[in-house]
Amino acid sequence: MTAKVITELRGGRVYDPAHDEDGVIRTVYLSRDGIAAAPSDPATIKESIDISGCVVMAGGIDIHTHIGGGKVNIARMLLPEDHVANLIVRGEHPRLGSGRAAPSTLTTGYRYAQMGYTACFEPAMLPANARHAHMEMADTPIVDKGAYALLGNDDFFLRRLAAGADPKEFQDYIAYTLRAAQALAIKVVNPGGINAFKFNQRKLDLDEPNTAYGVTPRQIVRTLAEAIHALGLAHPLHIHGCNLGVAGNVETTLATIRALDGLRAHFTHIQFHSYGTEGDRKFSSGAQAVAEAVNANPNISIDVGQIMFGQTVTESGDSMRQYAGSAFASPKKSVIMDIECDAGCGVVPFKYKDKSFVNALQWAIGLELFLSTRDPWRIFLTTDHPNGAPFTSYPHLIRLLMDASFRRDMLATIAPDAAAASHLGSLDREYSLYEIAIVTRAAPARSLGLKNLGHLGVGARGDVTVYVDNPNRERMFATPRLVYKAGELIVRDGEIVATPRGATHVTRAEYDSAIEKTLDAYFATYMSVRRRNIAVADTEIEDFGHSPLIQHQARRNAP
Amino acid sequence: MINARACATLNRRLGSVGLASVLIYGPSPRTLQAWVDNASCTLFFVFQLATLKPKPSVSSTINTHHDDVTCTYCGLLCDDLLVRTDGMTVTPLRNACAKATAAYADSSARVTASIAGQPAALEQAIAIAVNLLRKARQPLVAGLGADLAGLRAAFALAEHCGAIVDHLHGSALRQNLKVLQSRGWQTTTLSELRNRADLVVLVGVNVKVNYQNLIPRFLSPTAALQAERRRVRRLIYLGPAKGAPSACGELPLDTLPCDTDALPTLLRALQSALAGGAAVSGPAKRRKLLVELAAKIKAAAYPVFVWAAGQLDPAHADLTISAVCDIVASLNCTQRAAGLNLGGDDGGQTAVSAATWLTGFPLSVSYAGNTLDYAPERWSADALLQDQTVDLCLWISAFSPRLPPGAANAIPTIVLGPPGMTPAKNSVYIPVGTPGVDHAGQLIRTDAVVSLPLRQLRHSGLPTVADVLERMLKALPT
Repeated sequence: MTAKVITELRGGRVYDPAHDEDGVIRTVYLSRDGIAAAPSDPATIKESIDISGCVVMAGGIDIHTHIGGGKVNIARMLLPEDHVANLIVRGEHPRLGSGRAAPSTLTTGYRYAQMGYTACFEPAMLPANARHAHMEMADTPIVDKGAYALLGNDDFFLRRLAAGADPKEFQDYIAYTLRAAQALAIKVVNPGGINAFKFNQRKLDLDEPNTAYGVTPRQIVRTLAEAIHALGLAHPLHIHGCNLGVAGNVETTLATIRALDGLRAHFTHIQFHSYGTEGDRKFSSGAQAVAEAVNANPNISIDVGQIMFGQTVTESGDSMRQYAGSAFASPKKSVIMDIECDAGCGVVPFKYKDKSFVNALQWAIGLELFLSTRDPWRIFLTTDHPNGAPFTSYPHLIRLLMDASFRRDMLATIAPDAAAASHLGSLDREYSLYEIAIVTRAAPARSLGLKNLGHLGVGARGDVTVYVDNPNRERMFATPRLVYKAGELIVRDGEIVATPRGATHVTRAEYDSAIEKTLDAYFATYMSVRRRNIAVADTEIEDFGHSPLIQHQARRNAP
Repeated sequence: MINARACATLNRRLGSVGLASVLIYGPSPRTLQAWVDNASCTLFFVFQLATLKPKPSVSSTINTHHDDVTCTYCGLLCDDLLVRTDGMTVTPLRNACAKATAAYADSSARVTASIAGQPAALEQAIAIAVNLLRKARQPLVAGLGADLAGLRAAFALAEHCGAIVDHLHGSALRQNLKVLQSRGWQTTTLSELRNRADLVVLVGVNVKVNYQNLIPRFLSPTAALQAERRRVRRLIYLGPAKGAPSACGELPLDTLPCDTDALPTLLRALQSALAGGAAVSGPAKRRKLLVELAAKIKAAAYPVFVWAAGQLDPAHADLTISAVCDIVASLNCTQRAAGLNLGGDDGGQTAVSAATWLTGFPLSVSYAGNTLDYAPERWSADALLQDQTVDLCLWISAFSPRLPPGAANAIPTIVLGPPGMTPAKNSVYIPVGTPGVDHAGQLIRTDAVVSLPLRQLRHSGLPTVADVLERMLKALPT
C-alpha cells in the first residue's frame, strides 16, 4: 500500500450494503488500483476531499439495459426523429452524439457516467451477432460492460433437445457459447417462441410444443436452467418468459416459477409478465401474485422493467411478440427480423401515455412490484432500457420509490380508472438509501458474480459515486458531485473530466472440445459462416475494442 | 525529392480552389498559403525521400495456405475461402467467385506515397495531408472503404475537423434507409435463407455481376435444416432478361422479364395478384404469369424477396424496395415471408452501422456545426463535390483502387487506397493495406447482423487506414 497515490474522500455517509454499512460516516481511500485501506503513511495521500453532507455509494450497475448490438442499432437507424430532437452540443460531452430512447454509444456511456453508473450489461446478445454487440460496447465509453448470450431458440439447441441429447452436451454447448460469444451469462427469450414464429406460430404457451421440433418452453427453460446450475455460473438463467405483454400472462409467469422447482433463475422485466384479465377491460394487475411468488421462492430474482410515460422504442429478441405489438407502433413503423437460425428481433417505437388505461396500469404494476417484493437483494432497478423507458429516467424512478407522497401525487395524474384498478395507492413503503444502494449496486453485482464491483470494501475496483444529499431524490441521483471509475475521477458536478475505457466482463466455464467439432460440422453443413469465424477471439475485444477483458471462472456444482 | 515544379503544380491546384469556391460557410477565398503552409511545406521537402518498402517477413516468402478466409470484395463476406499466399501473391483456390478472384489478383507492386504526382515519403504525405486538413474550411471524408478500425478513425478525424462524411456507395445505401425510416420492414439473414426458404424471389438482382456466390453458397447446396423446404425450393427472377441467373444448380427458375425502372409497377401488380388478382392489368399472358407466381408465393412456407439497392434504377429504387416490403408485410399477416437486401460492399454496411452507433445517424452526416447534422441527400458526397460545397476531400478506398469522383479533381484531395493508384495531380496519395489481405480487421455483412474477422494473408508492410488516420489526428492541433 505504500507507493500508491491515494485520494481520500472524508466525511461522507457510506452506503455499502455488501458490508452492512448503512450511512456510516467514514473515509474512503481510493487509488488507481481500487479501494484502499487507510494508509499507514499519511504522506501517500495526495488528495483529500471533504464530502461532508454527501452520500457515498459504489458506482451504479445496470443489470439489464439494451446498449449494444444489432437490434439497438436498428432502433437508431429507424428513428432519426429520436436523434434529431436530442442532439449533443459541442462541449457538452467529449464527443458528439445524439438520441434519448436509443442514444448513440458515445452518448450512452457519457450519460451513464454522469448519472453515477459505471457498469452496464447488455441482456440480449445473439451469438450470431456477438461480434457486432462487442463492437458497439467497445465504443460505449467509461462504463464496464458485459452481455448475456441468447439460447433456446437456435435450431441447433432445439434439434438436440428434440433428439433427447445428454445433459452434458447442453452444458458443453452453453460453456462453448459463453466463450465464443464472449458472454457473461445466458438468457432465454420467449423460449422456443422466436423459432416457432419462423414456422408461423403466433403464440407459444409454456406447455405448447413448437411445431417444427415438438419441444415446449417448459423443456427449454428446464434444460437451460439445469445446465447452468451444473456449470455453476454466477448468474442464473436470465428469463424473458412466454407471452410478454399478453393479458393473463401472470399465470404463465407463476407456472414458469413453479416449473423451475427450486432451481435458481432470474425473471427479467417481470412487469411485462404480470398482467391479469380481471375487470371490464380484461386487463388487470397481477403484481401481488407475482410478488408473493417471488417472496416465497428464494431461488428467484427479478428486475422490474418499469415503464415511464413518453416516447421510447421497444427492442427485443422476441420477434413473435414484437410482431404482435407492431400494430401499436408509434410512429407507425417497425422492424421484424428472423436471424441466422439463431433467434430474431423486433424493434417497435412506442409512446406510453399516462391517460391510457393500459399504459397507466403498466406503470402502477411496475411500482407495485417494487414495493411488494420484500427482499431487495432479489430485485434490481431497471426500466429494461429503452423498452419501459430510457435509462435516464432512473433518478425519477428512484424518487418514486423513496418518496410516497410524490408517488401519490403522480398516481393522481394517471388515468383514474387505472389508478382505481391498482393497489399502488395503498402501498406506503419508501425505499431507504440503503435499499437503493442494494437494488442499483450490491444486488446486481452479487447476482452477476462481480466480486470487485458494487461495493466499497478494500480491493473493490474503485468505482465510487458521491451524491450531494438532497430531499428531492430525483435531483440528487441525476447529477452526482463526483464519480470515480477504477479510482480515476471521471465526472465532477455533471461534467465529464476523463474517459477511460471500461472493461468487458465474461464468464469462462470448462467444456469438452468435442462440442467444437460437432459445431464445426453443423456450421459447415447448414450455416452461412464457419464456426471458427463466428466465434469472437479475445484479441478482438482487447486489441480491436481496446477493452480489458475480465474473465470470471465458473465453478461446477456437484451433481 | 519533390521538385519545385511539382510543388508549384500542387500549390496552383490547391490555391485555385480557394478562389473558385465561395462556400456557403463563409466568403473568404483562400490563397495558396492558406492551404499549404509554406514553411512546413519547405521543411518537409528537404527530407530525403524514402519510399515505403515492404517489411521483410519469413512467412511472406513461403508458400502458405489459409483456410476459412473471409473475402472482403462484396457485402456477402463469404468466409469459406481457401487461398494460397506466395510472397505478395494471393490466389484463391476454393470458393471464391470470379469477382473476388479478379480482385485478389489485382495487386500492384507500387507502394510509394505521392504528393502532386511525385513520389514522397509516408511521413511527408501525412504531414501535407494534415496541413490540408488544418486549413480546410469544409472538408469531406468520403469513400469510407475501410474496416471497422479504419472507420472509427475516420469518424474521429471527421469530428475533429468538422467534416461531412459519406460512403462511396452512399446513394444505394440511402435508398434502403429511406424505406426503413419511412415504413420499417420485415427481413431475414443468409442462414435463414439457406435453411428456411422454399421460394426465393430475386427482385432485379443480377448475380452474374455481383453477389455471385448467392446461389451456389446459400440456395443450391442440398443440405438444409428444413430438408423438405430445400427439396421444393424454387427461384423467381423479376428484372431485365439479361440479368437473369444462368446457373441455378437444379433449382427451378421462373423468369418474368421487366426493365429495372418498371419493377415498382410490376411489384404492385404482383401485390394486387396476391390480394386476389382483380386489379391486375396488362397483356393476358403476363397477367396469367403473375397470377401463377402469386399462387406459388401464397403456397410457399417461407418466401424470401431479395433485392440489391445498388442494382436498381437510382431514380426509383426506393419505390421498388417499398413495394417489396409491402408485399412481405401483407404476406406476414397470415403466413411467413421476409425480405433480404444485398449491398454494403467496400465496407458499406460497416460504415452505415458504425455511423449509426457512433453518431445516432446512418450516413450521411455532417460534423461541421455545433451538433451533428443528419441530412442524407444534402450531404451526399457526389452532390457536395459537384457543387464544390467542400474544399477538401479525404478519400478512403482500401478494398479497391477506386478513385474519387471526377468532380473531386477541382479541389485538393487526400487519397488512401491500395498501391498502384494514379490519383489526380492535386492529390496527396497514401497507399494503404487492404483489410483481410494486408492486415487483420472486422467487417459487418450485408444483413447487418453477422460480422466477420478478416485475417492478414501477406506481409506487405503497408499501413492500415486506421494507422494513417490516427497519425493525422494526432498531428492536428487540439
